[in-house]
Amino acid sequence: MTNKIIDVGKLKKGVKMTFYQSEILRLRNACYCNKSQLETVIGTRNYINNNFDKALNLNLLSHIRFTSKFHLLRLFKKYYGQTPQQYLTDKRIAAAKELLKKGSTITETCFAIGFESPSSFSTLFKSREGMAPVEFQKKSNFHKVVLM
Amino acid sequence: MKVKVISIPVQDQEKALQFYTGKLGFIKKVDVPLNKDSRWLTVVSREEQDGPEVLLEPSPNHFEPSKIYQKALFDAGIPYTQFNVNDVKKEYERLISLSVEFSIKPTEMGTVKIAVLNDTCGNNIQLIEML
Repeated sequence: MTNKIIDVGKLKKGVKMTFYQSEILRLRNACYCNKSQLETVIGTRNYINNNFDKALNLNLLSHIRFTSKFHLLRLFKKYYGQTPQQYLTDKRIAAAKELLKKGSTITETCFAIGFESPSSFSTLFKSREGMAPVEFQKKSNFHKVVLM
Repeated sequence: MKVKVISIPVQDQEKALQFYTGKLGFIKKVDVPLNKDSRWLTVVSREEQDGPEVLLEPSPNHFEPSKIYQKALFDAGIPYTQFNVNDVKKEYERLISLSVEFSIKPTEMGTVKIAVLNDTCGNNIQLIEML
């Protein structure tokens, strides 16, 4: 069976849909109807994406979106399933891995992703990746050499 | 424990390999012949070649319940597997130009944008972009 292409945004009642298409429509109306909340959380995530290398905290993020920090925390967790701090950490670790692969030192990487101390960066990196940044870098270089 | 391999049931492994590499842009990683019509065949993302492998497994041809389950999901339009992309609309346009069929056009769902395509081997695949 080939499903008809559906633009869910333009669906009208009475149009024949698959089960999944009708569920998409139902969930969209039930969970994502508050545009201003969505703008707040998407704006916050974009701000983190563009500024993860700077000193960020909940106070600053909430001021930018003109909201209270507890409200922002609740909203972000509601829509993304994690706190802004958890998302920021994920973003920083992903950026750190790219920098380490390109040959940046541990200290350079630490400051480039907004951490204040190489030791706290190394501890967090190890707890998340199961190996210290220096080990990760060695492993990446080894892969590069083998692939060449 | 680590996540290294996820499975997608496919009706034809060679056709699936052509689709996942030629259209979606994955790279073949492991190809081990098992018997005359089965291979241990995996592909990986071009951007994440050390990331999880996708096993294109021929279970619908060898195990009737798998075939029934796959068909039920397909007919209900349900994508059992999804892949992350940076820009759903751009991928949609690229894949449409390669004659890939979609059952859901790029659609915003709150904090994500999704689209659903037909992998021609019995599955709906969802593309997802975090907003």
